[in-house]
Amino acid sequence: MVGELTWRRRLFGLWLPLAAFAVIALFPFTWMAATSLKTNAELYDPKANPLTIRHPSLVHYVSLLQETNFLTWIANTMLVAVVATGISLLLGTMLAYPLARMRFRGAPLLAIAVAVTYLVPQTLLFVPMADLIGRLKLGNTLSAVMLTYPTLLVPFSAWLLMGYFKTVPKELEEQALIDGASRWRAMTRVILPLCMPGFISAGIFCFTLAQNEFLYALLFLSRSDVRTVPIGVVGELIRGDAFYWGQLMAGALLGSVPVALIYSFFVKYYVAGLTAGAVKG
Amino acid sequence: MSTNPAVGASGAAALEARGYRSAGLSRLREIIEREWVFSWLILTPPLLFLLCFLGYPFFYGVYLSFFHREVASSPTFVGFGNFVTLASDPIFWQSVGNTIKFTAAATVLKATGGLGMALVMNQNFRMKAITRALLLLPFIVPTVLSTVAWQWIFDPGLGLFNRVLVESGLATRGVSWLGNPTMAMVSIIMVNTWRGLPFFGISILAGLQTIPVELHESATIDGASTWGRFRYVTLPSLLPVIFIVTTFSIILTFFDFQLVYVLTGGGPANSTHLMATYAFSLSVGVGQLGLGSAVALSMVPVLGLLLVLLTFYVRKD
Amino acid sequence: MAKPTKSKPSRRDFLKLAAGAAGVVGAPWIARHAQAKPTTIVFARESSYVKNFDEHFIKVMIPAYQKATGIKIDYQIQAAGGSAVPQLVSMVENKSGADLAWVQQEWLYRDALVDVSDIADAVGKENGGWYDEIKLLSVDNGKWKSVPQANIGQLMVYRKDWFDEAGVKNFPETWDEFLEAGIKLKAKGHPYGMSMGHGFADNYSWLYPLLWSYGVTVMDKAGKKVALDTNETAKAVDYVRRLYKEACIEDCIGWLDPHNNKAFLTSQISCTNNAYSIMVSAKRDLPDMGKVIEHGLNPKGPSGQRYHALVPVTHGVFAYGPDPQAAKDFLRWTMDPKQFRPWIASGDMYFAPYLHAYDKVSEWDIEPRVKPFHKVLETGKLTSWPAPANRAHGTVINRWVVIDMFSKACLGAPTKTVIAEAVAQLKQIYG
Repeated sequence: MVGELTWRRRLFGLWLPLAAFAVIALFPFTWMAATSLKTNAELYDPKANPLTIRHPSLVHYVSLLQETNFLTWIANTMLVAVVATGISLLLGTMLAYPLARMRFRGAPLLAIAVAVTYLVPQTLLFVPMADLIGRLKLGNTLSAVMLTYPTLLVPFSAWLLMGYFKTVPKELEEQALIDGASRWRAMTRVILPLCMPGFISAGIFCFTLAQNEFLYALLFLSRSDVRTVPIGVVGELIRGDAFYWGQLMAGALLGSVPVALIYSFFVKYYVAGLTAGAVKG
Repeated sequence: MSTNPAVGASGAAALEARGYRSAGLSRLREIIEREWVFSWLILTPPLLFLLCFLGYPFFYGVYLSFFHREVASSPTFVGFGNFVTLASDPIFWQSVGNTIKFTAAATVLKATGGLGMALVMNQNFRMKAITRALLLLPFIVPTVLSTVAWQWIFDPGLGLFNRVLVESGLATRGVSWLGNPTMAMVSIIMVNTWRGLPFFGISILAGLQTIPVELHESATIDGASTWGRFRYVTLPSLLPVIFIVTTFSIILTFFDFQLVYVLTGGGPANSTHLMATYAFSLSVGVGQLGLGSAVALSMVPVLGLLLVLLTFYVRKD
Repeated sequence: MAKPTKSKPSRRDFLKLAAGAAGVVGAPWIARHAQAKPTTIVFARESSYVKNFDEHFIKVMIPAYQKATGIKIDYQIQAAGGSAVPQLVSMVENKSGADLAWVQQEWLYRDALVDVSDIADAVGKENGGWYDEIKLLSVDNGKWKSVPQANIGQLMVYRKDWFDEAGVKNFPETWDEFLEAGIKLKAKGHPYGMSMGHGFADNYSWLYPLLWSYGVTVMDKAGKKVALDTNETAKAVDYVRRLYKEACIEDCIGWLDPHNNKAFLTSQISCTNNAYSIMVSAKRDLPDMGKVIEHGLNPKGPSGQRYHALVPVTHGVFAYGPDPQAAKDFLRWTMDPKQFRPWIASGDMYFAPYLHAYDKVSEWDIEPRVKPFHKVLETGKLTSWPAPANRAHGTVINRWVVIDMFSKACLGAPTKTVIAEAVAQLKQIYG
């Protein structure tokens, strides 16, 4: 920042607000962590401190991993998220590239039609979607969700990517064409490689939404071994009105902390991608 | 002959040398090279996918909303009958009001909070990368699971909030976070804000980092104060990012379903019923697929109106 | 000029390719339709509150059936908390999914279930006859569409130690005594926690019996006329408002089904209405509390009667399945006392069969505090009582029309207004 940095400025301008944000963002996680390491008896004790653990125990983690299909659910979730993201990026690019860089009849109308697809709520689609999946006999397969998640993700990734594609100067493409390249080559060899940050940015967004999705997974995945983490955890760790809190929280942490670590590698690209797309978009 | 790596030194020559491999192939290539042909060729696979997996369900959903259709029975056409029923349904209007209040409040909080977070994070300090990743956690953890945790945080006796309130002496007894209708709405806004704030924060941070330092420097030289710099340099440059992120967020928040479904089920007394949860309960709980689709469909114009208003407001500046 | 490097594909090649493709695509279809007997039956059921019950099924019954018939049962446990019904609706709409299931809210899709009268009649004869009340749910136009398995008993669950402390030695017999006791307990910091939110069991299980005990029903017996609009209803509403304000914890007005469990186990409330799950959790995790928990019957009202709400578990077979008869055979097998008795026992009689032969079996003595669950069967009624359990009733349940009438009153709305609003909604629903 421009200006003189005294320690007082640093304290009030950086450390205190940062601490405030960190506390706000992370306090539920401290509770989740504490709960996952407490025995049920301590959890239900009204006099106990919610955030400290008197007799730590790994019993919930053990039963989560041993008595449920948790690891299978994690594998399923990761697979589904990666494939759905891949499909969405591919289709999103194919949608965004012509709309961002080419001129052709019907382009404005198409752009509006694509924009309208963002406005379609899942609660309107879930009944017909279930019908479609049923007809294709994809019930209880991961393909059901791998094919339906892109319907939620393609509109958003197309929009993000469109903004990003627009930032690459037209001259580069024109030069390639003059040099004899086909449009396809110009697109795949010249322009798209420059857009990596945009892909990573859209990819992270898609991945997050995919691994978080609940409604379609609930409807299409009823067998334990094909479930994703949200459905599996909720399905088998809530029995009637009895919540298995410790295991639920263990599942929540094990399911999200690895993803956060992966994100920490990609965050700088996410930042770059969103930036370029937005500023010029 | 150009040495453009994309084509290769002998590219054009090779083309010529091969001559007409077959008359059709070369002609075909020519056609493909036309801008509009190329565009439509590339557009076809995604459009087909969307038409099949999004278009068909969408039109079927719209179609359903004009029918009286109960589960496992055949439909009867009722035209606008469902919408007329909804127009006189007080719960429907309550859900519309709730959805608008919820979306508006949460968005404003997320945008301002996110802006604040971004401004703070836009300084140099050690462990910046880890902090950025940690602050994203609320956005990453599956909603269902964090909402389950929030159930406990809102607990009247043992929940974190009430324990802090009571033990620090700020209140004699805790607040009924999920029992009092007003507080229940506050609670769901709080959870949604908590979840979405990092998304705003990190995205706006991205925007901040592209503002050229020269702009700030010249403004300082011209005598602008910190606040002045913020108002005339920072904020205008951020507007496009804020606009995109806010639009995404409004859409996702407006359609939010999981949070209320898990935390309150729409209660107490329908004070937290959103249009998405009401549509779901009508379709699945009551078994009225036509009516549920009608509620879901009604979300589209309301949301569209909100977005149009927002666009006008932003474009005006 | 270069010569073409590949010859044009011949027509014969193309036909070969097409045949191959058709074979690849068609093989699974052929295989499916050529099957004479299914090797797997899919059974969907919401997860049991008592884990042992599911475990017994998985570890004992599935292998036994496989040994006897060679058919494997694919047991799909559905998530609790409202996820079962969306899945069931989805299955019925798409005509694919489980072969048989716990058919929650079966009034939504009775036409999609096969006639199981033969099973029901045989089981009834073998086991002393069915309780009449459950026939109102399972029998549609003279045909049994589902076979009742058992009832999930809902009773007053209370802390005997705190009640004794407050001077209430016996569980209150009437609602007025219940209120008095609640006032004393709240004064000592141990309020009641009576669920009144958008759940499906713990709210219905006391509010409807309360209403009935005041001599009021929601609809008439034919299910055509709204019967809610009476002076007795106003008295009931006023009572509930008083109970909430003077004896209950503030939070309970928004409670879904799991919240009262949490509140009880964390020692915040002294009494609630619930199934056996609180005692199960306490016995497992908080043995000291487990010793002082008791079950009490719903109090009597001004009419001198007490009532309970039935929470039925019924199993139905879907018509769309590839082999409904195989599913029916399996269902019949599960109801045979040889399998049924140990199965029910594995749940500590949490699930009480609707068959009179089980009224006095020794399994009731496993945990004496579970015995009151049997009284539920004697005075229990379906929430639709006395009207039929049809779609209109389902709408009333899923819109919480009567529940909200009570909760709005507790939040301050005038009695007359909330009753009028509920009656208007009922009239609109029942047409």
